[in-house]
Amino acid sequence: MLGYIVKRLLQSVVTLFVIITVVFFLLRLLPEEGYLGAAADKMTPEQQEVYLTNLGLRDPILVQLGNFYLDLLRGDLGKSITYRTDVPVIDIIADKIVYSFAFGVAAVALSIIVGVPLGIFMAQFKGRWLDRLGTGYIVFIVAVPSMVYYLLIQVYITDFLNLPMLFNEDKPITWVLPLISLSLGPIASYAMWMRRYMVDELNKDYIKLARAKGVKERTIMFRHVMRNAFIPLAQYLPATILLTITGSIYIESLYSIPGMGGLLVDAIQRQDNPVVQALVLLFSSLGIIGLFLGDVAMALVDPRIKFGKGESVR
Amino acid sequence: MVDEKNKILSIENLVIKFTLRGRELTAIRDISLDLYKGESLAIVGESGSGKSVLMKSIIGLLDKNGYIDQGKILYEDYDLAQFKTENDWLKIRGKEIAMVTQDPMTSLNPLKTIGKQIEEAVILHQGLKGKSAYEKVLQIIRDVGIKDAERRYKQYPHEFSGGMRQRIVIAIAIACNPKILICDEPTTALDVTIQAQILQLLKNLQEKYHLTTIYITHDLGVVAKVADRVAVMYAGDIIEFGKTDEIFFNAKHPYTWALISSLPQLGEKGKELYSIKGTPPNLFNEIKGDAFAPRNPYALKIDFVERPPYFKVSDTHYAKTWLLHPNAPKVEPPEVLKKFFEEGRQYANG
Repeated sequence: MLGYIVKRLLQSVVTLFVIITVVFFLLRLLPEEGYLGAAADKMTPEQQEVYLTNLGLRDPILVQLGNFYLDLLRGDLGKSITYRTDVPVIDIIADKIVYSFAFGVAAVALSIIVGVPLGIFMAQFKGRWLDRLGTGYIVFIVAVPSMVYYLLIQVYITDFLNLPMLFNEDKPITWVLPLISLSLGPIASYAMWMRRYMVDELNKDYIKLARAKGVKERTIMFRHVMRNAFIPLAQYLPATILLTITGSIYIESLYSIPGMGGLLVDAIQRQDNPVVQALVLLFSSLGIIGLFLGDVAMALVDPRIKFGKGESVR
Repeated sequence: MVDEKNKILSIENLVIKFTLRGRELTAIRDISLDLYKGESLAIVGESGSGKSVLMKSIIGLLDKNGYIDQGKILYEDYDLAQFKTENDWLKIRGKEIAMVTQDPMTSLNPLKTIGKQIEEAVILHQGLKGKSAYEKVLQIIRDVGIKDAERRYKQYPHEFSGGMRQRIVIAIAIACNPKILICDEPTTALDVTIQAQILQLLKNLQEKYHLTTIYITHDLGVVAKVADRVAVMYAGDIIEFGKTDEIFFNAKHPYTWALISSLPQLGEKGKELYSIKGTPPNLFNEIKGDAFAPRNPYALKIDFVERPPYFKVSDTHYAKTWLLHPNAPKVEPPEVLKKFFEEGRQYANG
């Protein structure tokens, strides 16, 4: 088990290293104006050159890479240039990440609490009205662009319930609608996958054997089917939770939530290279950490995953 | 052995139908069958002959679109054909009638230790808990011929080979402490050497636990090894039944002849193996006369018109074929079979 985790960990570190390096080189391909910002117009070409040299951008590329890694190890992601001039990137992200993460985790929790049982019930009552209702819901969510129902909810439900239209940190009630909007999609996908895995498991021979040995249908559901059906979801759960910090552009801009949602797009549009670089790093690292945790979680629940040589006995 | 008092299960005029895309299919057509305490009965027939459906109806595991249209399944004081709810069936399943399923590779929950899977049945049906349940499980694991029970208890199905898994499936059935054990093609998924071991194991367990066993199989080799009696099914009907010797060495129904002729052992070197021409009847249609008639080279005119009743061959041996009617022309089984029957009879008589 430990060996397996260490192995996966090493693989993750290597992947991360490759990604960071690739990102670094990609960003060197971007136009250099990104490092000059609004000051570009006021500088003579000579001044620009001095500025860029001071930033280290005229050093040999490998030296730049080395410095980049050193800064990274010190936790220094550089300073924003155009987005909020001279503010450390890490502070910008820290301000915003709180909102996205809070909404994201709450939304994942809500989606699991509603979506997974929905899927279970749909599987249990396959072909009956509950299943059809659920399927209708899933089809609606998949077919209709999320922007449409996000807008409808914001415009009509705030009106109907007489709620403020925009997010206000101090008024808990303004958290509700963005949260629900954010969860509608994931609820549908959790329900869909859970139903599918449940139906798969229910058709397996070991369920027939469990029935034949006289186990109650309900016990079969709880003791045999649910856990087995949950495994494929367990694998992706950590990544899903971690990646909620990327925020939702739609929801955050609709409700004016000061989250991460628009940050990457803004930074790219304003050619704020250090911010772009930091965000790409953050998102990819979280993705990789999420997948790593998912693999570990899966190894914990599924005994069929081998933990290295010599441990399986026949 | 044929003793009315020792009847443990009795099927009377059973008709089972399925609804498929709005059409009705008759899978079991008016079957009557008695099962006697302590015997082992083999039900043979080709795929689709209804042998599995028949057994599933005994344990209440018919697919959702299947239902019992007529008839009775009498077990002790119950008529299983009347059972509707899950609670009814929980009185029978496992506790009274247990089942060994076909494919050991998929019949065990991959995420539970085999010990826990056996223990589930022990707790459910033997009223044991904790330490005593654990001890019982270990004993059952040893009973099915698996060594090192304590270690095996903690292992998962993927750590077992096919034959070992089938032993576990059998252990689960035994753990229910049933009176009747249904073995649904217990050896089909195993290779030949393991097959023999598993059959021997089933025989030993039958004796040790005083079980009545039903084997569902299309493998006549299995039948010869384990069965006291044989019932031959074709198109949802039992067309011949009798003691194993009677079926093997004195079969009367042309379908049984054809079935035995298909044994590879009877084939001649260099010649193609015998196979029955044609296909089984479509069960969506109403079957007139003898279901086998269209494929039967010995078919009489009446075979196409009227369904034959059982004709008595001996006290224990009956066959549904008009050939046994006193007015029917004398028909001999094919040459190969006659030789086989002859040798068999001599062998049986010592």
